[in-house]
Amino acid sequence: MTRRLATALALLALALFPSALAEAPRTFFAMDTAMSVSAPTADAALLDACEREIYRLEALFSVTDPDSEIARLNAEGSAALSPDTERVLRFALETAEITGGALDVTLYPVVRAWGFTTGEYRVPADAEIAALLENVDWRQVSLSEAAAALPEGVMADLGALAKGYASDRLVEILTEGGVDSALIDLGGNIWCVGEKPDGSAWRIGIRDPLDPASVVGSLSVRGAAVITSGSYERCFVADDGAVYGHIFDPMTGRPAESGLISVTVTGASGLQCDALSTALYVMGAERAAALLPDLDGVEAVLVDSGGALWVTSGLKDSFTPMYAYQTAEIHWIG
Amino acid sequence: MKKPLPTRFWIIALAAVFALCVGLALLLARVGGERVVARVTVDGELLREIDLSAVAREDSFTIETSRGVNVVSVRPGAIRVSCADCPDQVCVRQGWLAGGRVPIVCLPHRLVISLAEGGDEEAFDAVSG
Repeated sequence: MTRRLATALALLALALFPSALAEAPRTFFAMDTAMSVSAPTADAALLDACEREIYRLEALFSVTDPDSEIARLNAEGSAALSPDTERVLRFALETAEITGGALDVTLYPVVRAWGFTTGEYRVPADAEIAALLENVDWRQVSLSEAAAALPEGVMADLGALAKGYASDRLVEILTEGGVDSALIDLGGNIWCVGEKPDGSAWRIGIRDPLDPASVVGSLSVRGAAVITSGSYERCFVADDGAVYGHIFDPMTGRPAESGLISVTVTGASGLQCDALSTALYVMGAERAAALLPDLDGVEAVLVDSGGALWVTSGLKDSFTPMYAYQTAEIHWIG
Repeated sequence: MKKPLPTRFWIIALAAVFALCVGLALLLARVGGERVVARVTVDGELLREIDLSAVAREDSFTIETSRGVNVVSVRPGAIRVSCADCPDQVCVRQGWLAGGRVPIVCLPHRLVISLAEGGDEEAFDAVSG
């Protein structure tokens, strides 16, 4: 009897041991940002697959990697596209259509002239911007099955949608691998798979555009992506002291000045949330408020330069303003 | 002559001690306790691990890489980047990190400061933006 007891205790101890070694969040750098996948029930192999998928997508989309499909499209004017690239490009063009061109994937030459891809920031002269804008027009992108073509001088860049799409792909990999609770953070692009292990909703803060150490409020999230575009993310200060953000207005060829300083979109598609967060930022509060009710399953929180909030009514029970924003004016949308 | 303790006694005793140790480790891991450990990594590689609950007074150290310099300060229970030569200063403006899962990141320098334990009050699981 004692031998069996001893064996049972030893086996119990051995059984408990592996659970003490639950996988820590996988963190790595890709797409020019810090990324982390937190999925306690995923094993190392599944997290490896997630990391590999990010590098695979980066190799397809990167505008600065000459071997990527997008770089080849830009260099040669046409290229064969794999399903992922085609899907993202197609969605970008559809978003351009419904937002009146507020998201324009052909903005790359303009963004590059301002130095946002090289880090050599500068303010181009009006004439230079005007010349570059001649080649900015998403309608010039012709996309057929598995291939795309651009006229001379037109260049595409999927940077505004790449991380959102990548997060969707990770969700697919994780759920196919049997994971039903995970937190994905791709440089601030969040995807909450299911709910937290204890059954509660994920608490996601929305960064305060005016104070990076603080938040506008919190979102209670279950099974959705949360993506924010803000003026503060990448910016530079010119010699004259003016601050220029990285979200450009395709109409002016200059950083967008729509009156919004932060746009957060949440929904079941990271690709859609990413695309819309950029487009709505450019559109401004009024145009965004007009479009949002037409978009099923999409909710948003906008912060304008006056400190007021514009929030879709679907978030009435899940968005809580915090700190200074507790007394902010809220315009309810829809 | 005294009889030595039977073998089975030792088997049970060792198995019980082992189970106890594992159980205790699990308990500590789950409860988190008062110990808050900050991990400073560059390019994913761990450079420093600091038990913030064991910090007695404010102190600083410098992380210098080929990409640049970050001065990291600690005080009892908290850590921050007090100074850096990166162009955007996002890491500096983030201020003191004392709890939660949102790390301090200096992107240009690939520096990440995160807390290994969640701390007593986890305000957010993540911050969007």
